[in-house]
Parts: sequence; C-alpha cells; structure tokens
Amino acid sequence: MRRKAAVVVSRKLGSTFEPRPPKPKIKDLNITSLIDILTILLVFMLKNISMDAVEKNAPEGMLLPTTITKDKLIKTGLTVNVKIYPDKILYGTDNIKIGTLDEFMTKNEVRSSLLKLLRLEAKRITDDGNIPSLLIQGDRDLDCRYITEFINFSASASFANIYFSTIHTDNLNEVLGL
Amino acid sequence: MAHPPSKSRNLQKKHPRPLNLIPIMNLFIVVIPMLMMIMVSVHLALIEIALPAAAEKKIEQEDQEEPPPRIILALLPDKFEILVGEDEEYTIPVKDVSDIFAKYDYNELNERMSELKTEYNEQNTIDILPDPSVKYDILLKSIDICKFNGFPAIKYLTSTRKIFRAKQKGGA
Repeated sequence: MRRKAAVVVSRKLGSTFEPRPPKPKIKDLNITSLIDILTILLVFMLKNISMDAVEKNAPEGMLLPTTITKDKLIKTGLTVNVKIYPDKILYGTDNIKIGTLDEFMTKNEVRSSLLKLLRLEAKRITDDGNIPSLLIQGDRDLDCRYITEFINFSASASFANIYFSTIHTDNLNEVLGL
Repeated sequence: MAHPPSKSRNLQKKHPRPLNLIPIMNLFIVVIPMLMMIMVSVHLALIEIALPAAAEKKIEQEDQEEPPPRIILALLPDKFEILVGEDEEYTIPVKDVSDIFAKYDYNELNERMSELKTEYNEQNTIDILPDPSVKYDILLKSIDICKFNGFPAIKYLTSTRKIFRAKQKGGA
C-alpha cells in the first residue's frame, strides 16, 4: 500500500518512476506424481526383497548353474560356505583363500589346512546342537573331478549334508536347453 | 443477547489445505535406497545331495519290503547311461559334440526319467555317477531333471566310480 501510494505521489510530481511489476507467486511443488512413482517402487521392492541370508550371498565373478527345483536347508542345520572358482577355493563367509584347485588336488599342506578348518567348524556347529552342512558354490565350468574330490573330502570332515548352490529359474526349457 | 457469528467463521471461503507430503517423501528417500541395497536380483536355490552311506541308512529304514530296482544315472562324456536294476539299460547319446554345453539331450533324459517314475513309482532315489571330466553344470542339470521328475533323493556316488568303469570295460 505504501509503495502504491509512493508511486501515485511520484506520478503526481511528474517523476519518471514506473510501478514495479507484481512479484510472481511461488507455486507449491507438485510432488504427487513423484509420490506415485515412489509408492510403486516401494511395493515392487518389498515384493522382491528376501530375508533369506543364503539368497543374498551370490558369489561375485562366478557363473552358477541354473536349476528349476530347490531344496530347503534342514532344520537346525548350519552351513559352511565354500566357493570353488576355476582358479581358487575360498572358504567361509570371510572368503579365506585356501589355494588353487590344482593345489587342492596335489598339495598335502593345502588339503590338511582345509580339513582342519572344516573339522573345527563342524565341531563348533555340533557342539551348539546343530547339524553341520556344507554349501558348495561352484563355477559351472568346473570338472566334476574337483566336486567329487571335494565331497569325499568334506565327508571325512563330518559333513553329511551337502548342498549345491544354483540360480533358481521357473523356466524348464532353460534347464532342458530348448 | 446473542452474539453475532464470528467473522472468521466463513465456511465458503475456506479452501482445503494441501496435503503435506514432505514427511512421506523423507520416508521414501530413506527406505528406497535401503531396499535397493538389499534387493535380491538373482534368486539362489539349494540342491541337496546325499552321500552313499547316509542315503543307504535312510533306504533301509524306509523300505522293509521288496525294494524297487536301483536306478543309476551315469554321466559320461559322450552319453547319459541309465541302469535300472541289473537288467535294463538305456543310453542317451549326445546330440552335438562340437558344443560343450548343448550336446547333452536333456529333453530325452527328462522324458526317460518321467517314464521311470511312472514305472517305479515307489522309487525316490537316483544314484548319480559323474565322469571326472564331465562339467559341473551338466551334473547339476541332470540332478535337477531327476528331482523335477519325482526323484527327490540324489545319491552322489564317488567310491564306486572305478568299479563302474571296470564293469563298463568288462561289458564292452
């Protein structure tokens, strides 16, 4: 009001001042559409989320085989995870490097250190009242000789329950190669 | 004396307040990155196998009567070989030798396993015997096909490998 009055006064006085243009009103940001998108995203992610600890541990740099069936871990079973890459063997969740596959097949030190680790872990699991299980995550290009040897080896370390880790699919044709 | 209505009480002039979406936006900004971090894009599965000693104990407990014939699936570099009991033997040769992953006829194996399940409905176990040079992928696909056709118990044969080879050579 004051400004208007001032302008009027100035016009009366013959001044060259012009009235200021009205300030544009700041509109509120319309975030409704953004909320819609985020709600859809949230629902999608909640659907896909898995609370299964095993499903989160897909090993990096390893091509797992694909299967249509899947089994459940036995009750009171605790797994020890072993990752067998074409060039190395990693033990446990800490990915302790045991050695290469050739070393595992030939070197006695490598085998004895792995056997010691497996036996200790199996004893710890059994002492807690659980059943030791071995989860083998192997690259699909491995020869079965290594898997067979590893199964024999882990059986001698009191692991009776052995699981292979695979990628699950619902498409049978993918498994059949059609 | 009644008071006149308040000047501020003019319902016609009142506009609905815009919903304050800022708190829910804050929530989304926290929750969505967290979910993106822990979202599983690849679903892993577990395939259980049994060692011969453990599987035999189970079979002894389950089957008191005459057991169904033992089914052995041998994975050889050039064929699948299915031995049913002492007599029956099926061979599924490879389709294409040039490609290392596509050569095995999984479709034929699937059909054969389905037939075996129909014939020996009481049998739930398959003994699997992979050749050392066969790829792990082929082993797991074969196990998967067996399980899919109603053979949930897979017995991984390791110690009888040499016996099987000797038997093969003797048969040939």
